[in-house]
Amino acid sequence: MKNSIKNYNKWAAILLFFALPILIYVLSDFPRRSILKETISILTLGAFFVTMLQFFMSRAAKDKLKEHRMATVIKWHKVLGYIVAGILLLHPFLIIAPRFFEAGILPQDAFIELITTSTQGVILGIITWMLMLLIALTSIFRDKLGIRYKVWRMLHGILSITFITGAAFHVIELGRHINIPMLWLISVLSILAVALLLKLYFFKTSIKA
Amino acid sequence: MAKNISRREFIATAGATAGFAALASMGLYSGWGSNDSDTNSDQLDSKELNCDVLVIGSGMAGLFAAVKAHDAGAKTIMVSKGRLGSSGQTPFAKGIFEFGAQKSNVTLDEFVKQVSESALGTNNPIYTRQMAEHSKARVGELREWGFFDSPLYNKSFNRPIKDRNIPVVERVTITHLIKENGKIAGAAGFSIDAKKIYFFNAKSVILCTGAGGFKPNGFPINDLTHDGTIMAYDIGAKVTGKEWNDGHPGRSINPAACYDGWGDMFEQKPNTTSVSIRHDLGVDMNYMAYQQGNPIKMGHPGEMNNVTLEGGPKRPVLQGSGMESEKRPGGKRPPKGKGAPPGMGGTPVGGSSAGMAIHKSEGLVPINDRCESNIPGLYAAGDALGSYMAGAIYTQIGSSLAGSAVQGGVAGEAAATYASGVKQLELSVDKKKELKDKIFAPLSRDAGYSPAWVTQTLQGIMIPNFVLYIKKANLMQAALAYIEELRDHHMPLLRASDLHELRLAHETANMIVSAEMKLKASLMRTESRCSHYRLDYPETDNDNWQAWINIYKGKDGSMKFEKQAFDSVRRS
Amino acid sequence: MPINNISGCIGCGTCVSTCPTDVIRLNKDGKAEIKYPEDCQICHLCRMYCPTDAITITPEKTIPVIVSWG
Ligand SMILES: Cc1cc2nc3c(=O)[nH]c(=O)nc-3n(C[C@H](O)[C@H](O)[C@H](O)COP(=O)(O)OP(=O)(O)OC[C@H]3O[C@@H](n4cnc5c(N)ncnc54)[C@H](O)[C@@H]3O)c2cc1C
Repeated sequence: MKNSIKNYNKWAAILLFFALPILIYVLSDFPRRSILKETISILTLGAFFVTMLQFFMSRAAKDKLKEHRMATVIKWHKVLGYIVAGILLLHPFLIIAPRFFEAGILPQDAFIELITTSTQGVILGIITWMLMLLIALTSIFRDKLGIRYKVWRMLHGILSITFITGAAFHVIELGRHINIPMLWLISVLSILAVALLLKLYFFKTSIKA
Repeated sequence: MAKNISRREFIATAGATAGFAALASMGLYSGWGSNDSDTNSDQLDSKELNCDVLVIGSGMAGLFAAVKAHDAGAKTIMVSKGRLGSSGQTPFAKGIFEFGAQKSNVTLDEFVKQVSESALGTNNPIYTRQMAEHSKARVGELREWGFFDSPLYNKSFNRPIKDRNIPVVERVTITHLIKENGKIAGAAGFSIDAKKIYFFNAKSVILCTGAGGFKPNGFPINDLTHDGTIMAYDIGAKVTGKEWNDGHPGRSINPAACYDGWGDMFEQKPNTTSVSIRHDLGVDMNYMAYQQGNPIKMGHPGEMNNVTLEGGPKRPVLQGSGMESEKRPGGKRPPKGKGAPPGMGGTPVGGSSAGMAIHKSEGLVPINDRCESNIPGLYAAGDALGSYMAGAIYTQIGSSLAGSAVQGGVAGEAAATYASGVKQLELSVDKKKELKDKIFAPLSRDAGYSPAWVTQTLQGIMIPNFVLYIKKANLMQAALAYIEELRDHHMPLLRASDLHELRLAHETANMIVSAEMKLKASLMRTESRCSHYRLDYPETDNDNWQAWINIYKGKDGSMKFEKQAFDSVRRS
Repeated sequence: MPINNISGCIGCGTCVSTCPTDVIRLNKDGKAEIKYPEDCQICHLCRMYCPTDAITITPEKTIPVIVSWG
């Protein structure tokens, strides 16, 4: 029983956050570009989906994760967190990286043009990039912050909600691989993710660590 | 987004539900480039700018014209229908000639002499020499600006322009030059982004508008329709070189794909070229196709000179030049590249650059070596000047780009000097009103002809091999009858539904006048020489035709022609 | 289609000004849109200048092509 629920959760996660986006990617007629560019795209897309998954791999989903050892879940949450934060922080640079290997505008010029474009999608991208940096730093230096764990957890949650909301808008607005199915998948998953945390804050104000 | 769903709409809905409606309304777009042209021309905005020297065009010639005019003390403005370094032909040229960079046993005198030999006397030795003489200095400046560091030129071109704070007005198509009291007074045009007419009050104008063509397939010149030549002709300037041809072939597979036809050349960084005088890209291949049909039989296009065919364009026997050793028709590419020039990649087809002559052979007639036209204050440089720098055939690889740079510089300084000695002429209100009506007329027509249709009709008349490439009188007369019909009946009825189409309408009109010039000049030249080949006059006629043909508008508005002897050129 | 697809556009407008023949415009969402494909000369400048490499181009022209012989 225990194992089957654990398995069920695992499979659900794999299906929703991995198989489904890949399926949409494969079935859609997005232009196929060089292997390097497609790898970068998949990596970034994957990182974003895992970021949404992070909400479900936290204490916010404690009810659903009863059968799992929370310590293990949190360990994975941390490992995955640092990996995807790394990828997403690199993401603006990964966009322009292929220009190192092909003719066209210089990568550094492309980068400057990118971050000085003042459209909604880009501004959201820059804001969420900074939020991601903040989330990563406050996690790495949690012990040095000198705040109580519960306060930190609240901070982490609020930053995460803000991040995922902004990031979802950013992805929907600018994503190279956005079509209607992808758009719905991202919207639903990100809304669920946010809802999960909000529920935690508004309906179960006191949870025991 | 390909699927045509509006992400913005989605976000607005999703945002509202999630309580983030504010985000969706954060959009910062000014509507730039949206082209929602309201066709009511009474509501058009106008903008007036003043300067000493107005440079029209932002290619290689325009760059140096603006920089040198500024450096000579003139208040300079640059205006272009496209973007700096990303319009006209300049973005695609990768080899620039630098005379005397490497140790060479060819002296300047020898170089000029060899070009004249290959060009069968059609070149203007003053401009040939000027190009070679100044090429090294211009290449040096380009190097300093980072030109050789990127396959894209906007950034390096911006360097000197930004350093000098020279205003650049982009995406404004100039349609008219303005003459007051016999002198140049400015120019007028319109923006393709907003309903706005631009008036430039200028003491002097330099046309750096490049060459042009019939929006052909396979050569990236679809933004060039000899605009400068035609507007200058309209105010009385003399133009020349309309009978010559640029004989670039294209590929039979996807002939319109310029990028693919040129191999990887558009992606290469530019390079310098050194002395190598040739006799390239005339109509030899057109003749072969005319006689044999398609596909042309040859190992690859470069071997065409080895195939013996009866008759056809004559080639000079050159000594001491690179002509015999290098036989690629795509000789204008830099020596280092690995991509193939058009035609190398498969069966070639003709007409890829239809409507264009050898660079620098067609354009305004210079009255001296300062790029000055017969209209006081009006200068031209680069492909817009009929300087005959290379002659009526391609002679020196890379000299087109070098010539535009050099002539831009010369014209810039000359125009600045001229401007310092004259007073600004004011445009009258009547004149402005008249121009405004003329420029926007196609927008206000309820019925008429679409520029796209007229263009395709013109292409069908002018592009076939047996009209302007392998010429004979009766077919040119037949084509002329069609073109005159377009001129008299369709040109006045060109219609535009938005600003994009308005530009096309003006371009189409210019192509019609160009076609008329080309047919009439070709009919007039009753001989064959360099890139002009007539089946009915296959011989070179040195008794009667050691002369260029100049074209000008007669007092009655009709097109007039005159001969100018090859050796009649003056220095200032 | 000459310019086949634009995806990953950030709305900077570089391609709009870079196109010599004015094929691309920004749509009401502020995104680059292939507005006048029939005028595309397939020169790839837009693609090479695009900071996010959002433009894919194929070599076919949307309208019949006239050449000198065939
Ligand atoms: C594919 C290709 C390869 C080439 N390779 C070489 C090479 O390797 N070496 C070499 O020497 N040459 C080469 N050439 C030729 C060379 O590119 C040209 O001779 C040269 O660039 C011309 O420069 P220009 O400044 O005179 O004109 P262009 O570069 O053609 O510039 C014309 C300018 O005028 C503007 N303009 C035109 N009409 C108007 C108007 N009505 N209103 C406002 N602005 C207007 C345009 O926007 C543009 O900015 C090549 C050309 C092509 C097409």
